[in-house]
Amino acid sequence: MASDTLLKVTDLKVHYPVRTNYFNFGQKKFLKAVDGVSFELQSGEVLGLVGESGCGKSSLGKALLRLQEPTSGSIELLGQNFLKLSGETLRKARPQIQMIFQDPYASLDPRMTIQATLREPLEAHGLWTGKESLKTIHDVLDRVAIPTTALQKYPHEFSGGQRQRIAIARALVLKPKIIVADEPVSSLDVSVQAQVLNLLKEIQKDLKLSMIFISHNLAVVKYIADQIAVMYLGKIVETGETSDLYQNPQHPYTRALISAVPIPDPKIEKTRKRIDLKGELPSPISPPSGCTFHTRCPIATESCRRETPQLKEHGKATWKVSCFEVN
Amino acid sequence: MAILEIKNLVAHFHTRKGIVKAVNGISYSIESGQTLGIVGESGSGKSVSQLSYLRLLPSPPLRIPNGEVFFRGNNLLTMSEDQLRTIRGHKISIIFQEPMTSLNPYLTIGSQLVEPLIIHLGLDKKTAWKEACEALDRVGIPEVEKAMKVYPHEFSGGMRQRVMIAMALTTKPEILIADEPTTALDVTVQAQILELLKKIQKETGMAILLITHDLGVIASMADKVVVMYAGRVFEEGPVETLFERSAHPYTKALLKSTPRLDLTQQKIPVIGGTIPDLTQIGEGCPFYDRCSYRKDICKSIFPQNRNVTQSHQTFCHVEEL
Repeated sequence: MASDTLLKVTDLKVHYPVRTNYFNFGQKKFLKAVDGVSFELQSGEVLGLVGESGCGKSSLGKALLRLQEPTSGSIELLGQNFLKLSGETLRKARPQIQMIFQDPYASLDPRMTIQATLREPLEAHGLWTGKESLKTIHDVLDRVAIPTTALQKYPHEFSGGQRQRIAIARALVLKPKIIVADEPVSSLDVSVQAQVLNLLKEIQKDLKLSMIFISHNLAVVKYIADQIAVMYLGKIVETGETSDLYQNPQHPYTRALISAVPIPDPKIEKTRKRIDLKGELPSPISPPSGCTFHTRCPIATESCRRETPQLKEHGKATWKVSCFEVN
Repeated sequence: MAILEIKNLVAHFHTRKGIVKAVNGISYSIESGQTLGIVGESGSGKSVSQLSYLRLLPSPPLRIPNGEVFFRGNNLLTMSEDQLRTIRGHKISIIFQEPMTSLNPYLTIGSQLVEPLIIHLGLDKKTAWKEACEALDRVGIPEVEKAMKVYPHEFSGGMRQRVMIAMALTTKPEILIADEPTTALDVTVQAQILELLKKIQKETGMAILLITHDLGVIASMADKVVVMYAGRVFEEGPVETLFERSAHPYTKALLKSTPRLDLTQQKIPVIGGTIPDLTQIGEGCPFYDRCSYRKDICKSIFPQNRNVTQSHQTFCHVEEL
């Protein structure tokens, strides 16, 4: 493990039991939301996690904080085996990794003032020290450009963009090393989205935070992430540096995904070729055999149906692709 | 000739908290076979302007104090409910953003699809069923006979949106209003649906009024674009010139603040501030507070339209951007 690796995830699985009949007779079925994901996050790095709905990106994000207990696998957080921690040691470790959720209308308690919202994480972790903590709260609010007059107000008095800033402040108040941001700008309008995105980028740079940025919007991820991991049906199918992945995507799914995003320039759009994917995402309860993408893949062969490809290096150590045809 | 022409439409909601000025005097038109993209952020009035003249919003609180909307020369705002019913859902169809909430979960796909055929075209049940099957087939749904008998929840989002499109098209409308038709869908499915809309338009020659906040979707679909903000039209023009030579500070800023897949952006320029409160809108330009080109006149008077080219017009006091 490299010295500046903050987070090392190995073969992480999140399986949800599915009720097949009322009394759960017979064979149990599982929805394999995350099915064997491994990656590392370096200090100060932003990892973009992209994929379509149902690919498991949010389940993975929650599992990293143990908001959803992983079924198996390991998470090494700052050298500790995070999944083995419990009680007081777990509580001590938790401030290191914090989360920002998608919908700032749902993630802020409408009955709590902004001060109470920002104070709660500190109290919950036994870090509330009165005056000093109050200064921390003022500092983070200042960082997200919300005036301190906001402290006595309630969430409904703020716009969507401002609420997301407050949610960011709440994540920062514990001085985490890692932030998991799950679609933090998806519910915001374009003009506000850019404000929040720039703020996140600025904070990440200034505080040298590591971030896992989960989004379905490839353009947004491109803007903020250094590394990208593309997920499909619970697995990472391609991962690499942002510039490599966008300029020269290798996995047929990454290619299709990038080609499907319309570009806001009519001249480019007129001549652009799309890679059409047949059909839709198969059910994660009974994923296809072999390579799970073979049912929609334009270059699938017989062996893709039978054998499961592994993530293999493509040219350099940071670039990995899980495809027989590419490797 | 324009198939639909909106002139000076005003739509306000009279609520306890005051008058929400959702649409404040907008004009534009659309021709057969054309795709008009209406782009704007939430609260810009892009959906309300359509729903208001089709009388799909409860009134009160909605009031339309001013405006005319001509469909083939007939004013939709003054005609009787019975007359409007022969047009809405027949000559003018709509598909909505969220296909799950716009399909009835208690009825099978088939029974919802035959409804417009029986009501608007007066077909008997058997012919309507056959027509509905063909409609489903056209939008690329496999095993049509089986699909007719299932309930909406058995379909995925993309399939439901295909059903919505099929339903909207059964009556062979002259105008299809698509209100954020792909916003709830994944990009690969979005690409399929947009392709489908293009193909159908080519076959039928219908006009598409595409409402979206996604500038990428506009760039790939629209012939003509209307940019809306706080109930006003800010700019209107052919898609290429509007993107290339945008002549309104808001359009310019919006284009710049969009993260792009094809460019490497170090820092995205942002539009400061937020969208104005629609109950507090005065006579001036609603973008005044956020505009970097503002002049004193902008505060009190909303500008007249100014031609950039013959087909491209902007509503801005500032000529040099």
